[in-house]
Amino acid sequence: MNARERVLAAIRHQEPDGVPVDLGSTPSSGISAIAHYHLKHALGKAHWPTQVYDVVQQIAQPNDEMLDLFRIDVVDIGRAFDDRPEDWYAINLPDGTPVHFPTWFKPSPQPNGDWEVFNQDNVRIATMPLGATFFDQTCFPYLDGYPADFSDLPTVMPLVHWAGLAHSPWDHAGDADFWQQLRARALALRASTDRALMIVIGCNLFEWGAFLRRLDNFLVDIVTDPGNVERLLDALVEQHLKTLEKVCAAVGDIADIARFGDDLGADQGPFMSPKTYRQLFKPRHKIMTDYVKQHSSMHTFLHSCGSIYKLLPDLIEAGFEIINPVQTIARDMEPARLKQEFGKHLTFWGGGVDTRFILNRGTPAQVKDNVRANIEALAPGGGFVFNTVHNILPDVPPANIIAMFEAIDEYR
Amino acid sequence: MEEELLDSIFAAILDGDIPAAPGAVQAALDAGLSAETILNEGMIAAMSRVGELYEAGDYYVAEMFTSAKALQAGLSILRPHLQNSKVQAAGTVVIGTVKGDMHDIGKNLVAMMLEGAGFQVHDLGPDVHPSRFVNAVLEHKPDIVALSALLTTTMPAMQTTIDALSAAGLRDQVKIIVGGAPVNDEYAEHIHADGYAPDASQAVTLAKAMVTNG
Repeated sequence: MNARERVLAAIRHQEPDGVPVDLGSTPSSGISAIAHYHLKHALGKAHWPTQVYDVVQQIAQPNDEMLDLFRIDVVDIGRAFDDRPEDWYAINLPDGTPVHFPTWFKPSPQPNGDWEVFNQDNVRIATMPLGATFFDQTCFPYLDGYPADFSDLPTVMPLVHWAGLAHSPWDHAGDADFWQQLRARALALRASTDRALMIVIGCNLFEWGAFLRRLDNFLVDIVTDPGNVERLLDALVEQHLKTLEKVCAAVGDIADIARFGDDLGADQGPFMSPKTYRQLFKPRHKIMTDYVKQHSSMHTFLHSCGSIYKLLPDLIEAGFEIINPVQTIARDMEPARLKQEFGKHLTFWGGGVDTRFILNRGTPAQVKDNVRANIEALAPGGGFVFNTVHNILPDVPPANIIAMFEAIDEYR
Repeated sequence: MEEELLDSIFAAILDGDIPAAPGAVQAALDAGLSAETILNEGMIAAMSRVGELYEAGDYYVAEMFTSAKALQAGLSILRPHLQNSKVQAAGTVVIGTVKGDMHDIGKNLVAMMLEGAGFQVHDLGPDVHPSRFVNAVLEHKPDIVALSALLTTTMPAMQTTIDALSAAGLRDQVKIIVGGAPVNDEYAEHIHADGYAPDASQAVTLAKAMVTNG
């Protein structure tokens, strides 16, 4: 099997010829710039660039050599953009790590050591306080309440840093020929690699509610103000469907997987009851996954952090085939249990190694044991793509990352 | 009559009926119920039930937040009366998210739940320098200092905060409890904190145990 066939076999619940592996195909299955920098030095590859393709989370895009070294089976179509030297510039992070930022990203270091980001209207949309390693949202457009209508939605969304500082390919979404570029570059990428192709499409519902109203307010809204919530969600779905229409037209026959995002879980359980999910979000998720299935050959992938066990039956019915990052230490998310109860219906993209306590603080031997246990629980019969539980963060030692890949190699 | 008035307050909080809570509290005050009775039997009792329902998996984070906001709405009416009365707080807590960490929603929920359990809470907000914790301890003389961090990379600031309290000679005067995503019992032990709780509901249980055991 080649890489793409391996990934597709897994998604189709067929036993692949080895565990498929992801590093960097999505903004929550990759490696932070600082960890990337230390890793490349440990590998003796100091000359490899550390390009921060997701500036909000400060995540690096692994280069082709790193993907080859670790035998990665899937890539983000976004990597086909920003491919010229002039698309990047050198800068040192606050801790001194030398990286490259996209040319359009110009944060403002402050006298107190914080880094702020101001948009073209001089509105502060993000901050990275001294000591932190990613940018927090500062602007919540509907903080004070819901507008009478949502005609301003396209203009306020960029005030939210996730949209305003979007990672590739979406940092080019304003280009006049973006959709032609997207197709052309995806085709070129397809021709250049046998890896599976991922397109990150967002289309978040609960999260956009939280981005616009702020999480604590939106949590109250879904309980006390479903009328306004449903109006907002309908406006979001309308907007997302416009995006999906263009995505499917541009790359629906080229990309293998479309990644939706919607964090629905906290550590101890979902943010909302299954009843609330069914009432407010499920039908709208289904509208969007149906669209993708009817207008493309892409598989549907949902990124949702946290304990989402109680929502999984509904997420399956909502049309999601793949779940990520599979936060194994969250309540009810034990790998064996998930595989036994949902393994026939869901592909688990993640859950490969615990990142909260083991990958960062464990010994290489403990990392390997955790990797083996998770692969043995999740991989049999397909339905599994190895990925760390979310991004590899700055404090992960290179020795642990190398140990992780050594353990994975025992299964391929 | 008294029971009905208290039931209205209890129900407003349990049901997360934010608009109804202030009126229910006012009605009870107008009828002559003491601030202490309203707090204990109307509000603390309701938040305790909210905690039980959350632990049982019947209430979710959304419901817990909504009830906490209803509590806050009711407390906004009750607070002046609490200050005038001889109501003894369950204890005093200084809480904040540590330096470098802007995340505060979980911490805010803990603060609201602690208030709902009868604690006097001084919330320092997010991104709190260790010296601000020291100053707050000097000013408020709390029983408990509660530290929150969301990130593995900001968690070490918990240690520096504890070190700052030690350097100021204050460490033995307070109990330190910690929480947040990257924290666990092992880490709490490692930094010699006095306790750890994985969520807001269990934070209340922990805080109550700390002030009881002294």
